[in-house]
Amino acid sequence: MSVRTPAWVPALYLGPAVLVMAAACLYPVLSAFQLAGFDWNMGTQWGSARWVGWGNFVTAFSNPRVWSSLWTTLLFAAVCVGAEMVLGIALALALERPVRGMSVFRTLFILPMMIAPIAVGLGWRYLFDAQFGLINAVLQFLGLSAKTWLADPTLAFVAIVVADIWQWTPFVFIMMIAALASVDGSILEAARIDGARWWQQTFLVKLPMVMNVIAITLMMRLIDAFRVLEVIYVLTFGGPGDSTEILSLHIYKTAFVGQELGVAAAISVLLLVVVAALSWGALRLSNPMKGETR
Amino acid sequence: MNRRDSLKLAAISVFGAGLPYSGVRAQNRYAKYAGQTVVFSIPAHPQYDAMMKILPTFTRETGIKVEVDKLAMGRMKEKQLLEMAKPSGDFDLGCYVVMWKGEYVAKNLIHPLEPFFANPALADPAYDMKDIVPIYLENLGLVGGPKGYLAGPGAKLYGIPYGAETSVLAYRRDIFAKHNLKPPENYEDFGKLLHVIKEKEGIGALASRGQAGHQVVHAWLLHLNPLGGSVFDDKWQPRFNDKIGLAALKFLQDVVATGPAGIPGYGQGESNTAFLQGQAAMYLDSTLIAGLVNDPSKSKIVGNVSWALHPKGVRRASQSGGLGLAIPKNAKHADAGFLLMQWLTSKVQDKAVTMAGGAPMRNSTLRDADAVRKYPEFITFVEALKYSNPDWRPIIPVWDKINVQALGVGLSEALTGKKSAQQALDDMVPQVMAIMREGGYKI
Repeated sequence: MSVRTPAWVPALYLGPAVLVMAAACLYPVLSAFQLAGFDWNMGTQWGSARWVGWGNFVTAFSNPRVWSSLWTTLLFAAVCVGAEMVLGIALALALERPVRGMSVFRTLFILPMMIAPIAVGLGWRYLFDAQFGLINAVLQFLGLSAKTWLADPTLAFVAIVVADIWQWTPFVFIMMIAALASVDGSILEAARIDGARWWQQTFLVKLPMVMNVIAITLMMRLIDAFRVLEVIYVLTFGGPGDSTEILSLHIYKTAFVGQELGVAAAISVLLLVVVAALSWGALRLSNPMKGETR
Repeated sequence: MNRRDSLKLAAISVFGAGLPYSGVRAQNRYAKYAGQTVVFSIPAHPQYDAMMKILPTFTRETGIKVEVDKLAMGRMKEKQLLEMAKPSGDFDLGCYVVMWKGEYVAKNLIHPLEPFFANPALADPAYDMKDIVPIYLENLGLVGGPKGYLAGPGAKLYGIPYGAETSVLAYRRDIFAKHNLKPPENYEDFGKLLHVIKEKEGIGALASRGQAGHQVVHAWLLHLNPLGGSVFDDKWQPRFNDKIGLAALKFLQDVVATGPAGIPGYGQGESNTAFLQGQAAMYLDSTLIAGLVNDPSKSKIVGNVSWALHPKGVRRASQSGGLGLAIPKNAKHADAGFLLMQWLTSKVQDKAVTMAGGAPMRNSTLRDADAVRKYPEFITFVEALKYSNPDWRPIIPVWDKINVQALGVGLSEALTGKKSAQQALDDMVPQVMAIMREGGYKI
């Protein structure tokens, strides 16, 4: 005998969660849209803000620095997230089997993402220091010439990429090691019996089985890569020139240096659109919620 | 008791009662506020590190507690703006960078100080405002005068210097003696010396800032002013891309080429470190370095530094800038905040903070025998202050934006070779004009 659930019960159960989500997520987004319509300076009362309609969007999108920042951000996200995914998955595959001292390795690998971003930025700033940095000391020990890491546009970009990869590869590693642990051993056993080699087991069996987790991890890393601020703020402050000025740093400078909160909100809307589009793309790759719409 | 003894007793009673009068007055000044807590916004900065050593004395003497909110300089302004825009703020006293004074006043965020100093219940009669180095007081304290930030008609006092600085040349006397070199008197000698030191000693010639944003602009202004240039002309038209602006930028490019490696990524800390760790033979920047060069925990060049005036270009000029103290309009304990400001900048405490490694802001300290014995470079500093230019940078409300978002990017591009010096300067003109127009300047 089946009991028919009244139509209002799901609404009752979901209601509080929806309200909390709306307050926590939707309200700031709507506030950003509202702010993007006003000319408001920091340090002044909201009452003094002036309605400018689409003016802030026109100002923001006609500024070539916004588009160069967006390009830098896309490049940064592509290089960092690409490298982190490859390295994180490779590390997880290497350490999924029982190895002596595994717990030590795992703890060591996840340490970087537990460190506060400001400390990460400062640490790498000292490591990349042209005069006293450990990286140049190692290069010179190996007979190579020292580099002015943070003073050269290309090398500064390399520096922020290295810092991000160092900090966030562990996140991919953790996600993947958890996903790989949940793969049904009998399927791998069947593949082995059928004569599948290591690479076939990995690329044709294991990874497709954890593709949902890969997609979610990719999406989370993409979103984070677009929002990263503190490490670059400390490491290069967007320089030399604007070679490492990613969009979130440009928004920060527009808001807190230029004090154009409305223009900063307008650029934030652009960032939101780009991140939403990329997340949609990542979910198209493999949507874990697909087929669960009953 | 004879008549003479009676007179003595009477005299002692009268004068004995009178002597502690000022002390009693002082005690009364503070008594009303004892138990209050002043929340003080300060930066991570050598001056304020030194101040922390004397701060407990204030609480001991007055009963007023102090809670310090310490932030990195770059993050301090945004927090102050957010706090000061609230109906009732958390800060009772705040440190600000010279560039922010015009903006804070334009937004009506800080108190004018005249009413506090005119209040006999608060003001210390022994304060002696005239003893404060006049250029520091003008540069950091006055707003509303000519150009909006100079002394003259309309100028009002909004802040007191605390961490003020001028520019001097520090040089390694051991290296100069080894190669029989003399400190440069003018920019022509200075330019030649950069190459000579690089070739003969093999280390960087001059430590300099160069990081994109405020740091590179600061470095460029150090050369622009003595060479006779300025950012704007008298009608607020940009003139920084004229031949003097170009000469200053080319000089800075030369500093980068002959200096310690990595200057385009250097903030003030890295520039200081390069000199203090012996990677550069000269340092042309803030007088604040004086508190660090002879500290063995921070410096490898203890006892090897001499001082000279900022080299002369077409004119003798040295920087004016640094930090000051102001009272937010929305302070909960404005009077107690003023008392702390007054105490910190008094003659006695200015000497105390100087002896603890801070920078003096009073002439009496700069000429004090104990202070000069400890810091003989004060003799050079007093001379440099004669040439300190209050119009070193245009401290108008939109300067911070011009500084960081326009000039700070373009100059950095010139240092990294992305653009030629002339192209970088020319490309910044429309950006700067747009910011000026946004700020209400009719240009």
